[in-house]
Amino acid sequence: MKRVAYYKGCLASLSAKELDISTQALSPKVGLELVELETVTCCGAGDIHEAEPDYYLHLNARILAYAEATGSDTLMTVCNVCTLNLRQANFQLQGDERLLERVNENLAKVGVPEYRGTVDVRHFLWMVAEGEGYDLLKAAAHKGLKGLKIAPFYGCQILRPSKLLGFEDPDRPSSLERIIEACGGEAIDYPAKIKCCGFPIIQAREETALGELIQPIEQAKEAGADAIVTPCPLCHLSLDAWQSKLKKQTGKDFQMPILHLSQLIGVAAGFHEAELRFKRHVVSVEPMLDKLSV
Amino acid sequence: MQVGLKIWRYDSTTGDRALKEYEVDAPEEATLLDCLDIVKDRLDGSLAYRKSCRMMICGSCGMRMDGGAVLACKVRMYDMASAGHAPVISAMGNLPIVKDLVVDMEPFWQKFKAMKPWLQPGYDQPPADEEHVISQERMNVIHKESLCINCGCCVSECNSMESDPEFLGPQALAKGMRFVGDPRDAAKTERLDQYSAEHGIWDCTRCYFCNERCPKGVDPRDAIAKLGAEAMKAGIDEDMGAKHAKWFVHSAKTTGWLRETELVPKTQGIVSSIKEMKFAMGLAVKGKVPPPFPPHVAEGVKESRALFELVKEQGVDGALGIVQGERALSRLEHEVGHAAGGGGDTGVGSRDQADVSPGEEPTRKRGGE
Ligand code: SF4
Ligand code: SF4
Ligand code: SF4
Ligand code: SF4
Ligand code: FES
Repeated sequence: MKRVAYYKGCLASLSAKELDISTQALSPKVGLELVELETVTCCGAGDIHEAEPDYYLHLNARILAYAEATGSDTLMTVCNVCTLNLRQANFQLQGDERLLERVNENLAKVGVPEYRGTVDVRHFLWMVAEGEGYDLLKAAAHKGLKGLKIAPFYGCQILRPSKLLGFEDPDRPSSLERIIEACGGEAIDYPAKIKCCGFPIIQAREETALGELIQPIEQAKEAGADAIVTPCPLCHLSLDAWQSKLKKQTGKDFQMPILHLSQLIGVAAGFHEAELRFKRHVVSVEPMLDKLSV
Repeated sequence: MQVGLKIWRYDSTTGDRALKEYEVDAPEEATLLDCLDIVKDRLDGSLAYRKSCRMMICGSCGMRMDGGAVLACKVRMYDMASAGHAPVISAMGNLPIVKDLVVDMEPFWQKFKAMKPWLQPGYDQPPADEEHVISQERMNVIHKESLCINCGCCVSECNSMESDPEFLGPQALAKGMRFVGDPRDAAKTERLDQYSAEHGIWDCTRCYFCNERCPKGVDPRDAIAKLGAEAMKAGIDEDMGAKHAKWFVHSAKTTGWLRETELVPKTQGIVSSIKEMKFAMGLAVKGKVPPPFPPHVAEGVKESRALFELVKEQGVDGALGIVQGERALSRLEHEVGHAAGGGGDTGVGSRDQADVSPGEEPTRKRGGE
């Protein structure tokens, strides 16, 4: 068992609770003991980075400090945006002693433990795409996904900028495909799997965002996918909830089920609704589940 | 060494297109540009591409290799040729193609010019025998932005521009930041106003393709974040994108977590959020929108609020805040795939298939269906 500090982020804490529930249920099966961080807040996404950059840095330093205080060397995330935010802040602090010193002085003033820079921020995807997690995954996914065609959707901020993420080739990633195949499903390929879903501007520039959002859904549909799987709850939210807006705008009703990575593995591991919470999705996952049970 | 290339030939006057394969014998140190020169010299004189300096400074030779924009004179072919991989070479994206690998840069220059990329009046001559001294600290704010060679690689895969061709885009906005951050420029506020309008700063979807592709380390997305930070510092925050960002700060201070229920009205205003009601109700049924009361408050919110008050006093705001630690980031090497046990090249070649066909229309044109 690897003990990791677990950072849920806002989405998995609130509107994407199903992500948290399925991740918690799955973790022991893939060798992860989650130490939940109780007192942390939102990482601020790109938004606080832009609105109050110094606050962004301190907010993330605080999360890193509490992660370090658990004694684990790993802070595990379940969201692309959290991953980039925390990794960026972490590299800034680790690579600049004077900055780390100043931030630590401020943290001390409000009663946060010192951050010594020993934590590595890693996404759940990376924990199960290689090493022990991957070996255990194959055993855990005993029920399989036979007959299912799954479209992997990476989203942006787990691939780019690769300088800060660097787990795999940002143009030809393969971690999701490896996991889909280890679970017994068939991974389909389509160009938009590495592109943006439009989420960051879906409220401020809806039309532009929908022009991005339609690409992965349409391409996955054309390639015969039964569902799309994503490692990011923000991608999940836009792909799942905004399909109704695509229908309104284009007349196309895709009805494409969107799964969190932990849910997809959960299905292959024989989990039930109590751990999967598909009822919380906007687009029904039933057609995919029906196909699997045949 | 033998180098294989698959080149998308295209002629906009006839509309003819074809993927042609070539193989050339090139020296081991040859770049993609050297190989194209050999093709043109020995195999097919009609091949069209741009070049000038051959040393990554003029910005002429931007093109796509396996779907991703590169400077042809920067890419060495040795590894690919040794692996027996013949890459697909095509024209850059988001710009109309003239012939083969040559794109029409006019839309790019239009956006560039719209940024007024020169120092605005107010740049007074220094008194006799004196000079303008700019502190290193101020220089650091625009160091990366001043490295741009206008090659267009960042624009090629800009996801927002694919969807909204009028988006100013990464190169123009990075150039804008280069002037907004220049202490000698007297038009900072006007610039921020202009860049904050429709098709400006808040159009960026943060896909980070620009940072990934830029051959000079400009990191245009970071420049856009600096512009956003400067605009908000200057109180230019009426755009929905800016309001969206402000609400994050507010939530982090008050409840610790972002509450999506409130994000819609705070971003779009009450009137349009009422129009959104039906959509929001659909989400609420699924528990996607947490009920407004009682707010879900993170335990550590007092600390994070105190932290906010504390750093606010220290005044490391605007672009200065973003530049902190930038050097530490620029020292990071691109060690892609090293962390991944089985990562690397095993992936299915989505990039090989993506975008290889030239002359595609953008996904959606503004005003179109
Ligand atoms: S990514 Fe967004 S939603 Fe998630 S914790 Fe960070 S700010 Fe909150
Ligand atoms: S930047 Fe200056 S030195 Fe470099 S090529 Fe251009 S003119 Fe010459
Ligand atoms: S991050 Fe923004 S500017 Fe850069 S490529 Fe993406 S949408 Fe364009
Ligand atoms: S920002 Fe980089 S990629 Fe974009 S035009 Fe300038 S040098 Fe080229
Ligand atoms: S030929 Fe000048 S940048 Fe490549």
